[in-house]
Amino acid sequence: MKTILVVDDELANADLLCLLLEEEGYRAHSAVNGRQGLERLTDVRPQLVILDYMMPVMNGAEMGRAMRASDATRGIRILMNSSLPEEAVRKQFSGYDAFLRKPYGIDEALRVIARLLG
Amino acid sequence: MTTIPTDAPVLERLSSGIPGLDTVLGGGFFRSGVYILHGLPGSGKTIFANQLCFRHVAGGGTAVYVTLLAESHSRMLQHIRTLRFFDEKAIPERLTYLSAFHQLETGGLKGLVELLRREMRARSASVLVLDGLVAAAEMAQSDSELKRFVHELQTSAVFHGCTAFLLTSGSPQRVNAEHTMVDGILELEDRLSDVRADRSIQVRKFRGGAALRGKHGMRIGDGGIEVFPRIEALFDAPPAEIRPEGALSSGIDTLDALIAVGGYGDASSTVVIGSSGTGKTTFGLQFLARSSPAEPGLMFGFFESAPRLRAKARSIGLDLETLEAQGALTLAWHAQGEHLIDELGHRLLELVAERGVRRLVIDGMSGFFEAAIHAERTGRFFSCLTNELRRRGVTALITLETRDAVGSMVSTPFGVSAFVDNLLFLRFVEARGEVKRLMSITKMRDSDFDPGVRAVEIGAAGLRIAGRYLAGGDVIPSAEPLGPGDSSVPGRAGDPP
Repeated sequence: MKTILVVDDELANADLLCLLLEEEGYRAHSAVNGRQGLERLTDVRPQLVILDYMMPVMNGAEMGRAMRASDATRGIRILMNSSLPEEAVRKQFSGYDAFLRKPYGIDEALRVIARLLG
Repeated sequence: MTTIPTDAPVLERLSSGIPGLDTVLGGGFFRSGVYILHGLPGSGKTIFANQLCFRHVAGGGTAVYVTLLAESHSRMLQHIRTLRFFDEKAIPERLTYLSAFHQLETGGLKGLVELLRREMRARSASVLVLDGLVAAAEMAQSDSELKRFVHELQTSAVFHGCTAFLLTSGSPQRVNAEHTMVDGILELEDRLSDVRADRSIQVRKFRGGAALRGKHGMRIGDGGIEVFPRIEALFDAPPAEIRPEGALSSGIDTLDALIAVGGYGDASSTVVIGSSGTGKTTFGLQFLARSSPAEPGLMFGFFESAPRLRAKARSIGLDLETLEAQGALTLAWHAQGEHLIDELGHRLLELVAERGVRRLVIDGMSGFFEAAIHAERTGRFFSCLTNELRRRGVTALITLETRDAVGSMVSTPFGVSAFVDNLLFLRFVEARGEVKRLMSITKMRDSDFDPGVRAVEIGAAGLRIAGRYLAGGDVIPSAEPLGPGDSSVPGRAGDPP
């Protein structure tokens, strides 16, 4: 079973996404900011991180850069998502594997996730 | 790195399926939004929501209608079965009716939101109706719990591309917790105005767009709900000032001869004002008798049926039937009843658009006045309506009846003089034991004209403007006749006999 970590400060978003991912047969966990996300990487050991950009404490770009800087987490796929245009996010961090602009539909997200984990 | 093409944050719209409402909303609801539909029992919420669902599934969508109240689905379907939008074949595959009463009772709001989420997902619902939000609100332990419920529903709606409608009859005066959360609030009302019932719809909140503010008339008929946006709210921008380049014949050669441009200015509005029997409708028939396939005519009347108008025209040598058969003329009669002023305005504009009308007669203006529940609106209503007609290139002749049968003083009601381009004044005068019809042109916005008082003759050959009226000694001074020596006609040579 593939494991996904959802990092999003909007709890309703993160919770619902986890629920939907579990219904699709994934194991899903969540974190509310980049710092907590980094901490959870070691115990959750996900194959994919669904990473929001604008978050308090540590944003998605900072977490992404930290993941790519470490040998232990460099290989984890990152699905970046934000309500901002991709160009704005890419200026801060471009090391992600796919980008979804919020709001997005779950079917579209599941297609991207399946491809990234395929 | 993969980029998914979701970079266009343009909010998609969802048609309400209710004629006129999308215009009020500026194009429809926003997809994936959550909207509250508020109204007291009997205001039309259930019909609204069912109509929206049936129209949505007819267009290829999928809808789920969830009830929290005691009314059974079979009972509700029995009630809406008679409405034209009802389509039994859509149920249950494309439109599903579910009761969530048990989930609410046993699982509270958490159980309810979970059920709604699952149904959205399982049925790929693009519209969800929750009928009975008041029951959910009663179940909430606190305002914050209810807010959380709405927030979670919004999140699900976005993920599933589903637009949700929450129906409630709670007090509209109170600021409810859930009102702060949703994307829009619509309120349905059914009020009494004297003895008359007055249905309306108001968009009280609408995130992301500019809805037409204020109350708009609404009718529930066999086809369901129809909304009539207030004419003065919809057409509030004045058209570009265009001086007419030409004129349309009035259909009365002897009248055209009195006007420098030879008729009513192109795309102008002319009011023919006078008491009953002075010949106002005949002026209208003469104007319409010059309709042609290239210049289609429309009679938008209230007082005389089409057969009566045809007979009346025939008696003065005008053949309307042939024009009708050619598609050059439409006679639309609105028997007196409880019309809505905006409904009439929209019907008129629809006919103008459908038939490409260039010659329009409204007989008469009082048909609109009588439909107005709020009399103070009528001046602005007509001003905006005539502006819109002008923008559409329609030359209009509008009759207006005065109460005074004989007299020199006639007031133009409801600000008529402000919006009208041209004004013809008809009246009776008693002279030497006879009652005569008189006409005077009192205003022509873009043309010189003969302001003299003229006798009007109506006979088997039609309406004719005769020579100047010269007062006799026993005339009731309604016509303020000119002296015998005055015969000048500004701007145009010649004087009709």
